[in-house]
Amino acid sequence: MHKRYMSLWFPTLKTDWKTIRQPELAKVPFVFSTSEKNRLIISACNSIARSSGLHVGMRLADAKAILPDLCVQQDSEDRELKLLKAIGEWCIRYTPLVSLDLPDGLVFDCTGCTHLWGGEENYIREIKARFKSKGYTVRAAIADTIGAAWAMARFSKSTVIEPRSQKLAMSNLPPSALRLDDVTLDKLRKLGFRTIHSFSAIPKSNLRRRFGDLLLLRLMQAYGEVEENFKPLNVPEPYQERLAALEPIRTRVGIEIAIRELLNVMCNRLVGEGKGIRNAVLKTFRIDGKQQSIDIGTNQATCNVDHLFKLFEQKIETIRPALGIELFVLEVTLIGDADISQKSLWTGKTGLADNGVLELLDKLAGKVGSKAIRRYLPQERYWPERSIKQTNDLKEIPQTYWPTDALRPTQLLSKPEVILVTAPIPDYPPMNFRYKDDLHIVKRADGPERIEREWWLDKGEHRDYYIVEDQHGKRYWLYRSGHYGADQTQWFLHGFFA
Amino acid sequence: MVFTWIFRLVGMAYIELQTTTNFSFLRGGSHPDELVNYAAELGYAKIAITDRNTFAGIVRGHDAAKKKGMQIIPACRLDLIDGPSLLAYPTDKPAYARLSGLLTMGNLRAEKGECHLYRKDVFDCTEGIIYIIIPPEKLDQLFNFEASFEKDVEEYSRAIKHLYIAANRNYKANDNKRLFRIQKLAERYRVPMVATNDVHYHCATRRELQDVLTCVREKCTIDQAGFLLHSNAERFLKEAKEMERLFRLYPDAIANTTAIADACNFSLDELVYDYPEEINQSGRKPFEELTYLTWEGVKERFGEDPPEKVVKNIKHELTFIEKMEYSNYFLFVYDIVKEARKRQILCQGRGSAANSSVCYVLGITSVNPDEFDLLFERFISSARNEPPDIDVDFEHERREEIIQYIYDKYGRDRAAIVATVTQQRQKGAIRDVGKVMGLSQDTIDRLSAAIWEFTDEWFKPARLIEQGLNPHDPHLLKVLKLTGEMMGFPRQLGQHTGGFVVTNGKLSDLCPIMNARMQDRTNIEWNKDDIDALGFLKVDVLALGMLTCIRKGFDLCKQHHGREWTLANIPQNDPRVFEMASRADTIGVFQIESRAQQSMLPRLRPSCFYDLVIEVAIVRPGPIQGDMVHPYLRRRNGEEPVTYPSKELEEILGRTLGVPLFQEQAMKIAMVAAGFSPSDADGLRRSMATFKFKGLVNEYEERLIKGMTAKGYTLEFAQRIFKQLEGFGSYGFPESHAASFALLVYVSLWMKCYYPDVFAAALLNSQPMGFYAPAQIVTDAKNHHVEVRPVDVNYSEWDSILESRTKRLFPLRLGFRIIKGIREEDVLILVAKRERPYKTISEIYTAGVSQAALERLADADAFQSLGLDRRQALWQVAALADTPIGLFKGHSSPSEKEQQIELPFMSAAEHVIQDYASTSLSLKAHPLSFARIELNRLRVCSSKQVFGVVAGSKVRVAGLVLSRQRPGTAGGVCFITIEDETGTVNLVVFEKLFETYRKEILGAKLLMVEGWVQREGQVLHVIVKSCHDLTRLINESISMQRNEMPFQSQNKKTQVRENANTDVIPKARNFR
Repeated sequence: MHKRYMSLWFPTLKTDWKTIRQPELAKVPFVFSTSEKNRLIISACNSIARSSGLHVGMRLADAKAILPDLCVQQDSEDRELKLLKAIGEWCIRYTPLVSLDLPDGLVFDCTGCTHLWGGEENYIREIKARFKSKGYTVRAAIADTIGAAWAMARFSKSTVIEPRSQKLAMSNLPPSALRLDDVTLDKLRKLGFRTIHSFSAIPKSNLRRRFGDLLLLRLMQAYGEVEENFKPLNVPEPYQERLAALEPIRTRVGIEIAIRELLNVMCNRLVGEGKGIRNAVLKTFRIDGKQQSIDIGTNQATCNVDHLFKLFEQKIETIRPALGIELFVLEVTLIGDADISQKSLWTGKTGLADNGVLELLDKLAGKVGSKAIRRYLPQERYWPERSIKQTNDLKEIPQTYWPTDALRPTQLLSKPEVILVTAPIPDYPPMNFRYKDDLHIVKRADGPERIEREWWLDKGEHRDYYIVEDQHGKRYWLYRSGHYGADQTQWFLHGFFA
Repeated sequence: MVFTWIFRLVGMAYIELQTTTNFSFLRGGSHPDELVNYAAELGYAKIAITDRNTFAGIVRGHDAAKKKGMQIIPACRLDLIDGPSLLAYPTDKPAYARLSGLLTMGNLRAEKGECHLYRKDVFDCTEGIIYIIIPPEKLDQLFNFEASFEKDVEEYSRAIKHLYIAANRNYKANDNKRLFRIQKLAERYRVPMVATNDVHYHCATRRELQDVLTCVREKCTIDQAGFLLHSNAERFLKEAKEMERLFRLYPDAIANTTAIADACNFSLDELVYDYPEEINQSGRKPFEELTYLTWEGVKERFGEDPPEKVVKNIKHELTFIEKMEYSNYFLFVYDIVKEARKRQILCQGRGSAANSSVCYVLGITSVNPDEFDLLFERFISSARNEPPDIDVDFEHERREEIIQYIYDKYGRDRAAIVATVTQQRQKGAIRDVGKVMGLSQDTIDRLSAAIWEFTDEWFKPARLIEQGLNPHDPHLLKVLKLTGEMMGFPRQLGQHTGGFVVTNGKLSDLCPIMNARMQDRTNIEWNKDDIDALGFLKVDVLALGMLTCIRKGFDLCKQHHGREWTLANIPQNDPRVFEMASRADTIGVFQIESRAQQSMLPRLRPSCFYDLVIEVAIVRPGPIQGDMVHPYLRRRNGEEPVTYPSKELEEILGRTLGVPLFQEQAMKIAMVAAGFSPSDADGLRRSMATFKFKGLVNEYEERLIKGMTAKGYTLEFAQRIFKQLEGFGSYGFPESHAASFALLVYVSLWMKCYYPDVFAAALLNSQPMGFYAPAQIVTDAKNHHVEVRPVDVNYSEWDSILESRTKRLFPLRLGFRIIKGIREEDVLILVAKRERPYKTISEIYTAGVSQAALERLADADAFQSLGLDRRQALWQVAALADTPIGLFKGHSSPSEKEQQIELPFMSAAEHVIQDYASTSLSLKAHPLSFARIELNRLRVCSSKQVFGVVAGSKVRVAGLVLSRQRPGTAGGVCFITIEDETGTVNLVVFEKLFETYRKEILGAKLLMVEGWVQREGQVLHVIVKSCHDLTRLINESISMQRNEMPFQSQNKKTQVRENANTDVIPKARNFR
């Protein structure tokens, strides 16, 4: 079949994308900036900015001189790639073959697709309308070759180029319609070749000698004399498995078999991709139209069917089959990278590296609720309350080590408790303190350790911490808030040592 | 023990020995002087300054200490590459020299800003120096120091005679354990323990700034900094009593501080500067030598019978020089100048001592004291007793030769360039602080816009609200507060533009030397204020583009016109020259070519040399801000009587008709009329020049105005003087400088007047310099009847040259250097192989010129003598790549056999645009001439027509924007110069309009304005009422000539930007 391609061009891709999210940007000049060779340049600008004379590649400082109230946002490196990929995947509804055309376009192989929309004209109209309604400016053209479609989308008003007429259609376009590098374009411009037809008739050998192979290649690609590679996007399949029951299922055993079946299929697939399940949902559809679901979570991505099954098993009783379930759907809502390692004979790992511990934690969490189990990591902060942070991820590696030379209590009170203290001035450790009506005589003490507020976060007194040991040999972490002698010197107990 | 008790009673047993100032860049949170002043307040008699591997801050500390009657111990912290850090305290001058030498060695091994020292280096340098070893902060799990540290202590203690170990109590968790371990180490290795507080800032409130500095250093935000910061604010300078309390268990550690301090009696005042011996090898004493040379010089300049006035002057000056012992200084400058003359490098001295008769006869300056009298003492005040100051300007292309000459003659261990301390300015500070505090780039930009140049109104909410910021946001206020504190902090040591210090002994005995960023340059760690404070000699070896231009001009004159001119033998007081200046015909002339100068010239109408001196000085921020310009002009034109505010000022202001114009006049007024002492006046000037510290300036303002009003001057006059001083601060222009510059003004004027061909060629060959682009220089040359010929492969050379003459003036052939992107090597090959004219392009290619260079030449249309226009040439050049090589060398190229192609026709307009693209100028036509029909239709006048219009009438005029200038002194007014094919027009845009037409003014290449003509004498301005961007006309006129539809209108909406045509018009230059 004769090939037909559509080129889709987003002249203001990035700014449109941002404007959709921040509609107030639609009415102001707005640009993205990126740094290049130590200076900021514009990497995308919206139409208002462009009409004021701004353009991509301009120095941001110059642009700001012209438009002092220019709205500038930082650009990220692969934003257009991500955007185009997402748009491209969405576009699969129009053709199975979509290819990225960086930095600002897509190419469809729309051969045999257009009649579904009532012809090429309508096809284009429909696509443009859809994008316009979302807020994207878009231009498109269909032609026999990628090159011709690309050129027409960007340089011409005509949208549909009849088969085999691309040569004629392109003849009046400028050389830049041929996707050439700047050096060649510059040379062509200097020689006065301002349209394609002005040089297309020159013998090929003459052209090649002066402009290299690229010009001829592009020319022939556009004319369809040379085939051009087309690399379509791969669309990921969702992590979802369905199991329809021949007869409605009403027993626990039936449900268990269904779960096992689904997990087997799903885990098989995940293992192949090097992934594992973190969160999953099982949805059951009853014949009376009711839907129920149970969900599980794990501490680390896993494909261990037995383990996963046990987690579901704990919750099976919450499902009420009533008249029977006709469809089971297992959906993975969060996946993670799983290191599928070889099974070792001796599991010599300890602590969190031991899978047995992790699986135990999963089970405990299923029973007592995930909030009851906490993991803390050391943080590089002096202020005790902020020196630890809670995490849900068992795999997270601490950014720093637990300090060894500055002793910290094994139990830290989340809220320090006021104590009454007898202490000599100005910064000597207390002689005794009263905590929950008990008098503790201080036998040994170390300190003070002065910890200052994190001034950029909050104001207030610093704390002088003391490690003290009472008459029973128990050790406490006490502090005095502020210097001695301020109106009310307050003492607190903040933790217990083992 | 008894002694310690007594000391304790007095409260003075502790001396702080470990302090880090902000000269340990991004570590210390206080200036050295802040630290010293605070120490004095706490009652310390001595304090050590120990910056990291540097002495950069000690002079400032020393200076501050002297004022407070205390002493500093010049010292430093040595961070070693292979061992624990040490604090080093020299006990006497030789020890100081050794330590300085050690630092020098470390500096010269490393890149600029780093110092690489090893423990072996320290071990070789222990005599007379007391060291303190700094133990690590951390203890291991058994609360012990790491084993390696103990080993280090052992090794250090064996190698270093006077070694102590530092003990801090910084309220960290392990303080007690650490002190205990230190004591144990001290006992075991007999390394006495000494208490220090590791001071990083003078008072606890600076902790926040110090944290910010740490973040800047570690390139993180304050939130990420974590353990990089200090856990508390205890690194401030504590009272001695408090330190004693903290070390109550270790009284010896306190006593040892005094012991060390007592042993260190070296003061920076002991450093004595010696002039190098080489400057005087005659065997005579320096003064005798100077006297001898001076009278020799008199003979040379004035012959056997010098004018009496000169003789009198010289005798007077010599007595003065003898009294002040400046002979060596003059001899030193003379030596450099002599060398420059030997190498035929043009140079000229300026500065306070330069305009003396002695300097003239020694050839240091060329301002003839016989024709022009400047009082010598005016420039050197004996009261201040500071070293005389002579700056010598050299040709900018050849200054490096002189610098290397000085290095070679005196050796790198004896000569070095002075440092400049780069300070945190507002913008940099707000950027740094903002980044650390996690503000977005956008907010930082707004903040810096809000506070730009508004130091006093920083915290005014209005300014912040204007930028859309919340003035009550505490975070933001904190950022502003910290920015304020950080401003003025030294950030790095740079290289002074050319200030040289040369000593007789090793320079490193006085101050460490370090590598500069530039190759083959070394500089010392102290800046010029430090040098001044210690009384060292310094000569500024500066570069001046105009001297290069004049030198080239003189050479061309000699070569073509057969006249040998020098700065000194040019005919003085030529009325034709002054007449030309009065017409403001000064494009390319030194100093007086700017817009502001050009509009001043016809009003001032200079008629003698001193008028030029005034002209140079008057169009400056000082007199403009002080509103002195108009009173002077009125008095000069006799519209206002010359009066003096008082009798005592008549003497000072007599030469300038009662209006203060020069820096020293304003300073003299401060002294005479406000009762300032000379050093006060100098302090005032300095405080404005170096950095406008908040508060300090205001203090001076109050004093000045009070002093003057007390003496009966009007408040208004006093305020004007202050304003003027403020303006002088940053761009000071003393009379002596103005005089030296005026000479160059006169010389360049004279050359332009009599040899416009030479002048244009010299200017073109000295680019880039000055206000004007080559296009204007060429146009101006044409206006002066110089024939200018285009670049051509068969005639041009790298520089522009003069060709054989047909009329009085020589035709100017443009040089290859004006072609963008061409390399000199390629051109040199082309010229060298050009035995007879080239006939084909491939001949040039075979000669060895690269294809890329040939392409550039084709772009510049340089093949005309081969009968090829740029397009044909480019077509041929493009095919050169497959010229047969190797075995087939010499065979004909396939491109010669290919059928002829008809290339698209190139219109004149296109040619002009291409000329601009390649060389920024075109001899064929002005780009606007092609748009003239269209402009006529829009009823736009040419600039020539505008000059015929009566003042006050409304005109439209359009042109390429050459320059935009928004001087800080003009209250937001923007001056624009536009150019069309008939000339230039000057536009004035007021601030409000500027905001309205910002886009057009800053964006347009071809600007059309509507406005009223204003005339003042011969000066014509158009006061702009509206602006329009007509840049598209240039495109359209080109397409029109090609008889096609303008390209862009074909399909405007889809067109990818195609502004190649207008992009080639050079960007307008912006000036402040």
